[in-house]
Amino acid sequence: MDALKRGLRAVFLRLEAALEAVFGSRHNPLTQLGTLGWFLFWIVTVSGIYVYIFFDTGVTQAWESLDRLSREQWYLGGLMRSLHRYASDALVLVILVHALREFAMDRMRGNRWFPWVTGIPLLWFLYACGITGYWLVWDQLAQYVAVATTEWLDSIGIFAEPIARNFLDSERLSGRFFTLIIYMHIALPLLMLLAMWIHIQRHAHARVNPPRALAVGTLGALVALSFAWPAMSQAPADLDRVPFSLGLDWFYLAVYPLLERLDGSTLWLLLIGGSVLLTLLPWLPPLKKAPAARVDLDNCNGCRRCFADCPFGAITMIARTDGLAYEQEASVDPDMCMSCGICVGACPTATPFRRGGHLSAGIELPDRTVSGLREEVVAAAARISGDARVIVFGCNHDADSDRLADASTAVVRLPCVGMLPPPFVDLVLMRHQADGVLLSGCAGHDCFERLGDQWTEQRIANERDPNLRTRVPRERVAVAWNNPIRHGALDEALTQFRAHLRGLAAGGTTPAPAARPAAWRAKLRELPAAARYTGQGLVYALVVGFVGFFATQPAYTYLAEDHALLKLSFSHAGQPLKPCRRYTHEELTNTKFSERSATSCERGRWPVYVELDLNGEPIYRATHDPAGLWNDGPSAVYARFEVPAGRHRLDARLRDNGADQGFTFTASRMVELKPGTNFVVDFRAAEGGFTFGLPAQDTARQEAP
Amino acid sequence: MTLLKWQANFRIGIGEVDHEHQDLIELINSLHDALGDERSGERVEAFLGEILADISAHFALEEKVMRDRHYDALAEHKADHERLLDELRDLMDAQAEGAVLDDRRFAAQLAQWFTGHFQTHDARFHRYLAR
Repeated sequence: MDALKRGLRAVFLRLEAALEAVFGSRHNPLTQLGTLGWFLFWIVTVSGIYVYIFFDTGVTQAWESLDRLSREQWYLGGLMRSLHRYASDALVLVILVHALREFAMDRMRGNRWFPWVTGIPLLWFLYACGITGYWLVWDQLAQYVAVATTEWLDSIGIFAEPIARNFLDSERLSGRFFTLIIYMHIALPLLMLLAMWIHIQRHAHARVNPPRALAVGTLGALVALSFAWPAMSQAPADLDRVPFSLGLDWFYLAVYPLLERLDGSTLWLLLIGGSVLLTLLPWLPPLKKAPAARVDLDNCNGCRRCFADCPFGAITMIARTDGLAYEQEASVDPDMCMSCGICVGACPTATPFRRGGHLSAGIELPDRTVSGLREEVVAAAARISGDARVIVFGCNHDADSDRLADASTAVVRLPCVGMLPPPFVDLVLMRHQADGVLLSGCAGHDCFERLGDQWTEQRIANERDPNLRTRVPRERVAVAWNNPIRHGALDEALTQFRAHLRGLAAGGTTPAPAARPAAWRAKLRELPAAARYTGQGLVYALVVGFVGFFATQPAYTYLAEDHALLKLSFSHAGQPLKPCRRYTHEELTNTKFSERSATSCERGRWPVYVELDLNGEPIYRATHDPAGLWNDGPSAVYARFEVPAGRHRLDARLRDNGADQGFTFTASRMVELKPGTNFVVDFRAAEGGFTFGLPAQDTARQEAP
Repeated sequence: MTLLKWQANFRIGIGEVDHEHQDLIELINSLHDALGDERSGERVEAFLGEILADISAHFALEEKVMRDRHYDALAEHKADHERLLDELRDLMDAQAEGAVLDDRRFAAQLAQWFTGHFQTHDARFHRYLAR
């Protein structure tokens, strides 16, 4: 598991570094997958509402109404329909990569299980939305989806009568099932939205909107794809015919072809088992976690800064418990705390100007105390010398800042840079412990602890409490946010920063304080603008090209050419185990008037035994038990066979009386099956037994000899 | 000796605030008592560090209350907090560079804060609350 994670992480980090060069860190699509998911969801919602306005919900008019929309209103209705499809496909892609990335980066372990676990039902909702959506078009793909889905649902065995029988042939198709699917296609996205909301509940300041440029680019790319390759219906559905080949949407329907190879129930087990395994993943193996942050009431007056900054909602403000005159105190839920220390960085009492034994902040990490940090900083300062001494505060996920330590550079590692209380920078610079402070963290806008980089920058820029005192020279504070593999960029930042510090020492002009007193930043070697825009265009084109292609390609061969589909399906109640019997006069007189009835019928029926032969060869032999808790319902049969087109002899036999041999009904028929025909062998006792196909299909129309 | 005595002109007229300010004075005094006469640089620094932490926390809480009540003069008030903290930090830096803490002058400075900041800025906030 660990090796898999490491391997995936290496791939992601390289991809991210490449994308960062093209998009910049703020607009890096790989660090914005969650927000892109939300954005795509809204595109799908808006386009879906538009399409629904013109959608005719009748089973026969659905295809026509959509076809008309795509052709007559291609510029808007067609666009909306295409956006609806492609944004949904992109949503699958984004969500799957998002999940894979959170797994690879190990951001779903331990106390971060919540978004991971709540994301799994989201996947189910997502797929249910897509499947019901394809159903509504009522083209050949919809027909395939309807038949395959209902057959698959039937394999669970909870329906008394196979629901696939709703789609057996054109005669049996009813609009009611279709209406149900429409309701589901509206209700499921609403449930999905609810699940999405729950998914982000444990994230304080959850990001749900991508940066504008990325949103515009994504929408633009999808619009371009929609015009270049409009989403169209396939041929209208015809339940009496079976499509040979289908343009399958592989994003939503990739598992369907498996149904031809696996048992429906096996596939259910695989998917449910897979989901359970995914659900358990955060604890495989359990995370060894540093102890949770602890509140020290002697130093807490309930100022709420830690509460405001905790990225994981682990801190709540509760009524004072120690009788002091303050209204509130902070309280940490150890089951939600990630021990990142960002709360410590927010605490006004976490100042290194306090000394020794006195120094305990209002909130502390037991494994990484503020007094310990103070000692480390003082020791670090004592280690370095030279004309441009730098203390680097690194985090556990940065580009390995430990490498930077040398005669004039000391490194102090924190779980997250956001843990550093600004007064530490004050101490280092105002007491001349070093000439500069470099804050090194993980990739910008993709902090492992979610908000460490953001809070750090805002504290330096006087935009967030506790801010770095205005007097502390910002030109001596540098930030460097780098993806863990970008060692070179971090080295370069330090080199540049040191040169800058030397420049200051040499009497270099101090830049006039900006409106936002931001920290110093290395000048990155950037690609030229033209290369960046070309690169972005290329990435968008690649992604929407991928989406557009797999939305219909490669075609899936459902039925071999020159074949027809033979279905044996019916619902028939076997004979009662015992015939009903009239009550005797004596029995009736002994029964209370209100409980009397004419006959006594025992519940329970015989199973139905069926045989079907094709050209004299047995192709089906099965005993079907009656449905219902009391075994008194009908026995249901549903089986399908791919047969070569041409003339065939069919022999069907049925026994429903519990006898050991002999048949209650038999029928034989010569049939002429054309390629692609959907031919149903049904049984209706009331009509005298087996029926073979619809009248129009029964071209041979003769009893077999 | 007591560093700072509660004076009538520290009062801003709102019970709980006056109470909290008295608490702060008591705290400063007890820290001062603990400091005693044995004035090593380290001990004085620790003494001032504690005062800094206490005042910082007090200000943090006060700013939170102001934010909750949408106090319109929060920016000015906060700037004054930062000025006071700067002054204290200057004193501490001077101390670190070898200056000797003059109790009398320090007490005068603290008293000035109480009459200056607490009376004008805090009183203004409490008038805002009472509107």
